[in-house]
Amino acid sequence: MFAAEFEYHRPKTVAEAVKLLRKVKGSRPLAGGHSLLPAMKLRLASPAALIDISRIAELSGIKSTKDGLKIGAMTTHAAIAASAVVRKHCPVLAETAGIIGDLQVRNRGTIGGSVAHADPGADYPTILLLLDARFTAVNGKERQIAAEKFFVDLFTTSLKHGELLSSVTIPSMSSGASAVYLKHRHPASSFAVVGVAALVQVKKGKCADVRIAIGGVTVTPVRAKAAEKLLTGQAPTPENIARAADAVSDAIENPLGDPYASGEFRVHLASVMTKRALIQVTG
Amino acid sequence: MVERMVDLLARELKMDPVDVRRKNLIPPFMDGYQVATGLTYDTGNYEGALAKALEMAGYEKLRKQQKEMRAKGEYLGIGLCTYAEICGLGPSQVAGAVGFGGGLWESAIVRFHPSGKVNVMVGISPHGQGEETTFAQIVANELGVGVDDVEITHGDTEKTPMGWGTYGSRGTAVGSGALMGAIAKIKDKAKTLTAHLLEASVDDIEYADGKFFVKGSPSKSKSIQDVALMANVAWNMPKGLEPGLEASSFFDPPNFVYPFGAHIAVVKVDAETGEIALQRYIAVDDCGKVINPMIVAGQIHGGIAQGIGQALWEEAVYDDDGQLLSGSMMDYAVPKAAFFPKFELAMTETLTTVNPLGVKGIGETGTIASTPAVYNAVADALAPLGVKTINMPLTPERVWRAIREARS
Repeated sequence: MFAAEFEYHRPKTVAEAVKLLRKVKGSRPLAGGHSLLPAMKLRLASPAALIDISRIAELSGIKSTKDGLKIGAMTTHAAIAASAVVRKHCPVLAETAGIIGDLQVRNRGTIGGSVAHADPGADYPTILLLLDARFTAVNGKERQIAAEKFFVDLFTTSLKHGELLSSVTIPSMSSGASAVYLKHRHPASSFAVVGVAALVQVKKGKCADVRIAIGGVTVTPVRAKAAEKLLTGQAPTPENIARAADAVSDAIENPLGDPYASGEFRVHLASVMTKRALIQVTG
Repeated sequence: MVERMVDLLARELKMDPVDVRRKNLIPPFMDGYQVATGLTYDTGNYEGALAKALEMAGYEKLRKQQKEMRAKGEYLGIGLCTYAEICGLGPSQVAGAVGFGGGLWESAIVRFHPSGKVNVMVGISPHGQGEETTFAQIVANELGVGVDDVEITHGDTEKTPMGWGTYGSRGTAVGSGALMGAIAKIKDKAKTLTAHLLEASVDDIEYADGKFFVKGSPSKSKSIQDVALMANVAWNMPKGLEPGLEASSFFDPPNFVYPFGAHIAVVKVDAETGEIALQRYIAVDDCGKVINPMIVAGQIHGGIAQGIGQALWEEAVYDDDGQLLSGSMMDYAVPKAAFFPKFELAMTETLTTVNPLGVKGIGETGTIASTPAVYNAVADALAPLGVKTINMPLTPERVWRAIREARS
């Protein structure tokens, strides 16, 4: 299938890109193109113009700052997976990036493109929600958006029209905290049918800073707050972990289902995978 | 179906599925075995293939390991499939009798050029199975020329003779029969010409390794290339013999061929998530004479992958209005190489009497055996939980629901 007709622009700077996004009616930024282009070919999306931001050098790269890791929106999954800086400061992010899609997808796909597309089966939204990431949007001036506020609905973020996502900042993890991302991969698409991210800091035998994020089950990833609360301050015993994992379903409303996995099964997987993730990070 | 029934019977009788199969396998036979349904199987050694597969798998050890794992709440499953397949279609007379709108023979033309190169035109038209290579090897081996001196032409109907297609694992099983017929004619004519050139009797001419020679005095000989040159220039032909060295042949097999084998799948089922991990896959196949082991292995590999795809992943899902829901490659799970362990392959060679080379088909054995082998393995893994039947494909959700149902 061929995409409908569209204009094509390739700005060299963020300022130029923002200007084009504002000026050209019906325009959308084009990042790695691994979600938008197939959608256009299936005529599920027909933007009047594409603003190709792949040549904007200032949009890619990984920096370790005092606020944490700052990752340019156009940084590819492969670059994040292989980055020594990411592996040192936030290994779980590198591990997650390394299991997205397949090699071709990881070489083209970008962190900004993935989160701005906000596919419920994507891996980054879940892990970034877990890590309390902040998203920087540009439109003349910069705006910071917290992960909890960023993912609004199915394929919908709180980015406004004319705003360009420029970077993602991941605050440093508390010392001694351990995190993991587990994925039940769809056998055809490789998307996460369920993705569970968990982070726990074990202090003097008790769980502190307990975070659990569930992706793939609902239109946006969610934090399993009730489960987090149940484990906080408790020893990471099998019983306590099982109790927390059982409470994961409290966080899930209107689970998604498809011919591969029903909503009921996804909720079940989310609970089992949470249990396993918690065992892994506290073990 | 049959392989599932055998396993269910074994469970009912509290017997090992291997023993049920051993009791029911036809003993080895080398010249026809008429089965109850009326067909006559060509040749078979089913116990031989099963024994080899069990040995490769370390069956007894696996059963022991399974017992130990079950005690820990882990579910290892061992699944068998012993199959015999009907293929190499087939006598044209049968085609007529069953109302098939065509014949089932194959044809080949072999043309020996004065340069010593050989052109072969075949009715069989492979589309990726590799018979161009298999056929070139046969010609090279039979006529004593280099494999690079053979050119196979197929699929161009302006040049090639009639053929009926490479389906039903019949490409080599039937196609090589036609090829061997043409090769025999070439050799006969070359022999007649050699006898004339060497002033000997035709009955005294023998052939070996690309040379025709007089029986008892191998120094009096002609290479096949020399004979081909002499035939093509026709300076000195015996009376009544046409110039050129070319032959055409049609082969209508007297019976089907019946390849067979034994496959064993080892899986581990995660009883909490319903996920199935393929741990090992052992395949022992017998397609009669093996001409190109790599091509044969390639066919088996592809077949196993396709068959397991049916057991575990592939499904056309429709909604109530008839709309196809698994209509894209993002939804329809085609098996990928990364889904599989390394296949452990071995062959036994029980030649058929149906065609000159003793070859049977290999195109479908993997698909036939792997679906039930993997299904049986999953059912075997879940036997202690009381699970008997799950609809294919065995997706994690279906497995999970079956376990939940059996437990309640």
